[in-house]
Amino acid sequence: MKSFLRLLRKDLEASRWPMGFLSAITLGIMLLVSLKIATGGWPTQAAIAAVTFPLVFLPLWVLWQSFQTLRTEWREDTVYTLLVLPEPGWKIMLAKLSAILLEYTVLLVVTVVGMLIFFFPMVQEAMLVLPGAGWVVRNGILLYVFSLFMIASTIIFVQLAFVVSKMVGRLQGLVALWTLLLSGWLVDRLGILLEPLFGWIPTIPVHALFRLNELKQGMVADWNIAPEIGTWLGTLALLVLTSYIFEHYVEVNG
Amino acid sequence: MSTNQALVVRDLKKKYPKADALKGVSLSLPQGEIWGLLGPNGSGKSTLLKCVVGLVTPDGGDITISGQPPSRETKAQVAFVPEVENLYRWMTIRQAIDFTATFYEDWEHERVEELLNFMRLDPTKKISSLSKGMRARLKLILALSRRAPLILLDEPFSGIDPASRDRIVEGIVRQFKSEEQTMIISTHAVGDTEQLFDAVVFLDEGTVSLQGNAEDLRRQYGRSINDLFKEVFA
Repeated sequence: MKSFLRLLRKDLEASRWPMGFLSAITLGIMLLVSLKIATGGWPTQAAIAAVTFPLVFLPLWVLWQSFQTLRTEWREDTVYTLLVLPEPGWKIMLAKLSAILLEYTVLLVVTVVGMLIFFFPMVQEAMLVLPGAGWVVRNGILLYVFSLFMIASTIIFVQLAFVVSKMVGRLQGLVALWTLLLSGWLVDRLGILLEPLFGWIPTIPVHALFRLNELKQGMVADWNIAPEIGTWLGTLALLVLTSYIFEHYVEVNG
Repeated sequence: MSTNQALVVRDLKKKYPKADALKGVSLSLPQGEIWGLLGPNGSGKSTLLKCVVGLVTPDGGDITISGQPPSRETKAQVAFVPEVENLYRWMTIRQAIDFTATFYEDWEHERVEELLNFMRLDPTKKISSLSKGMRARLKLILALSRRAPLILLDEPFSGIDPASRDRIVEGIVRQFKSEEQTMIISTHAVGDTEQLFDAVVFLDEGTVSLQGNAEDLRRQYGRSINDLFKEVFA
């Protein structure tokens, strides 16, 4: 545990400057938009764009950061340090994955806090049409938890693609791209193939989970989770595979 | 296979896309000696060490470290100083020491402080602010602060100023414990380090061209290892 936490701390500290920069940019954009709205330069709808932009940008940033955190280890030759550590590959890969999830959370919190600071009147206005603050917080947390699964899967695909590309001496970019596409297709197929195995699992009543009837009476939404189980298992297997390849087969630059 | 052999390499092969780095290297290093791995640039010295620590995967041959094939367990027994700058530059010296210490059970905290003093390094300094010589000294501290049975130093004197070089050589002599450790120093700067070596291996284009006890070779050829090196690789 101590070694995992040390690796996690190292990855978090390594990206503290980019994180600070991104947080500042996010808040800066919101401040600018709120000033423009206050002075009548822009319509109030601009606030929606100012909040949506970081939320749309976040998954792209996760994709980039998953790639960059590994690429930096090779580019700066610190991978020499990582690969000689007497630690299992999963610890190193999981520390990187956890670091990105934490960074994603921080950026999400910054966006929400920025929204509350700079667009509070508009938030209050929006709350009038929503069932209440408790409902918003509850559903916000649920969406965040679901997004963590999506984000973690993305990170695992990128990590596998990068690590596989480091097993070959040439055409590393092409190999990485193909691995990324293939792994996505593979876990998708696995989900479909394994669906009958998990057919006994009841569907999740999304309307009850998100209390959608408080928003509109009679709303019904069910989620058949059976195909997702196979996909998640496949993604987990890819994480194990990435860790194994990282520990046993990747090479430093020749 | 005898377990008092610190490192045994048999018929090791490694091919890169543009060259055969190792073409069947075989070596057997007994415990308690300092070996010089000598050869010009591109002779396969670094590749050989990288294969031992698992940084590259050999295409053929066997490696055993204290009788075991390379694994997570053998990684814990090897201290490796690569030629490249493998330190996290945003860390301070103290942070780099603490980071490394976390992963090795054979870490000796007293030895670190002694070495920091000897190598004249301020632990509060950022690695990015250190000179190349200071960074080389720090890398050596991180390796010598452990009681690792096998220490591998890849070109530890490359591009280093003479003052740092002397410090490093003295540091190696002071810290090496022949009763429990074995060391391999790869270098093409033989002159300054010749006195360190109990035995030497000459690598030439991925093959062993000469190997043996340093004193025996001096006697047999009637010249220093440095002169022999110049003659072989002239």
